[in-house]
Amino acid sequence: MLDQSLLNKSRAGLSEIEAEYIAGSLLKICPSVSPGQTNHEVSKLLEGHADLISIAVIEDNKPIGLISRNFFMEGMAKPFHHDLFDRKSCIAFMDKEPLVVDQNMSIQALSFKVLGAGRKTLNDGFIITDENGDYLGLGSGEDLVKVVSFLQAEKNRLVTESINYASVIQQSFLRSSKESMSSVLQDYFMHWEPRDKVGGDYYFCKKFEDGFFLALIDCTGHGVPGAFMTLIMASFLDHILLEDNRYDPAGALAIMNKKVKLALGQITETGVETDKFSPAQGGQSDDGMDTAFCWVNTQNNTLVYAGAKTPLFYIDNASTDVNLLEPDRKGVGYVDTPMDYQWTNQQLSLSKAMCLYLTTDGLIDQIGGLKKIAFGKKRFSALLKDIYLKPMLEQESIIMQTYYDYQGKQRRRDDVCLMGFRF
Amino acid sequence: MTDLYIPATSDTPEINFKFSRNTLSMSGEAYPENGVEFFRPILRQLQSHLKSLSGDTIEFNFQLTYFNSVSTKIFYSMFELLNEYAKNHPNSVLLNWHHDEEDDMILDFGLDIQEDFTWIDFNAITLASA
Repeated sequence: MLDQSLLNKSRAGLSEIEAEYIAGSLLKICPSVSPGQTNHEVSKLLEGHADLISIAVIEDNKPIGLISRNFFMEGMAKPFHHDLFDRKSCIAFMDKEPLVVDQNMSIQALSFKVLGAGRKTLNDGFIITDENGDYLGLGSGEDLVKVVSFLQAEKNRLVTESINYASVIQQSFLRSSKESMSSVLQDYFMHWEPRDKVGGDYYFCKKFEDGFFLALIDCTGHGVPGAFMTLIMASFLDHILLEDNRYDPAGALAIMNKKVKLALGQITETGVETDKFSPAQGGQSDDGMDTAFCWVNTQNNTLVYAGAKTPLFYIDNASTDVNLLEPDRKGVGYVDTPMDYQWTNQQLSLSKAMCLYLTTDGLIDQIGGLKKIAFGKKRFSALLKDIYLKPMLEQESIIMQTYYDYQGKQRRRDDVCLMGFRF
Repeated sequence: MTDLYIPATSDTPEINFKFSRNTLSMSGEAYPENGVEFFRPILRQLQSHLKSLSGDTIEFNFQLTYFNSVSTKIFYSMFELLNEYAKNHPNSVLLNWHHDEEDDMILDFGLDIQEDFTWIDFNAITLASA
């Protein structure tokens, strides 16, 4: 029988929860009959126990069949069948091959057995025995469905709780960047929206006496694996900036590239063309990040940018045109990025009130609209041109609202991280 | 080699590789959780098919609207295969790059492919609004 209090109490890990529930958890003690008993006796038994769905037929403690109430009643209802069968052995209407399971069978194994046995088992239930095959009682399809749903919900709850907490950890990693950002920028926004509570998008900001270093990062993957990657990247970046690498974002990308490749073993043997499609390569990871690294020198008002597949959008207050600093086309750390790959620095003089924006591809690649195509850089640029004079926080909500409207009923494809600031 | 047809799902594209006619088409979206697992057997078949050819012309129709970064990498490997083949047999590979007229992201990616794989004849085809 389903023990609801036990179910509610359960706080065990995933595998333990599964182990707690076995076929025996569904056991209902039910009256049984022996082959010596007649159909008339079965009729009486069914009349006396309105909740009995089936009755097991037992011989020397071993189940030999199952009489289904529905099947039995239908059979007996036919003309003259009472006269014909009343005094005969109850095995006449018995299913000779009911599902019989050991009480220690796991719920998962039981589910497959029940589904495999077809509709009759779901309707009529199954017989539960002890280790020796002796009859214990019956289990019903309804109770099985209840337990399976409960286990599913419980597993979901555990996974959700665990991801919620992972999100707390990931956000606390972002805290120092948040604080730095609010101390170096006045009019700005940072919109971090992982698709699945945690994700592979990440941002980084660190204040120095002569300026600040800013990075927007899109690691491979999303969800938990993506979040793992962001923690690796953040700690590498922290470490790299301890030395004077901040003035040279392209150089910092090159160092990151080496570190990631070494840490994740993503090195192709030089000169050997490996067969990319052979299963043997399956174990090797191919992870990395797309990113924009920016050093903002607040003493001479210049920005040095180096991009790995992540452009920088900016609008000069005088021209009103949206301009782009185009990134290099290699990501950081991936197998197909050479160990000694060089990114390029691009310098930008910052004029007063210039607006700068960085976004991961989650925003511009999102499918939506009537045509179900990507949001696109053009649409994004056009939107920025319309709204760049507004306060940054207002721009954030306009951009995101436009984006949500564009996405409509389409599934979110990726994490989104978007930032803008006015110099 | 027998033709390969895999119907589209919400996160994998339709694959219609008519090896018998050397017309290879791919359409839809590609963002499976494990892209390598999905595409590896497809690329292996393409690879062995290319090995069996000697200069036959191939037409490739690429009509995707979204692909994640893993799929992007796989497409690079795929075009690399076709590029290698075209290098040994010039003018043998035609890549029809279908994109919506407003889809700058897909067009940009196509232009990158054109720039990187010079042996492939690249043909951008604009899909006008309905």
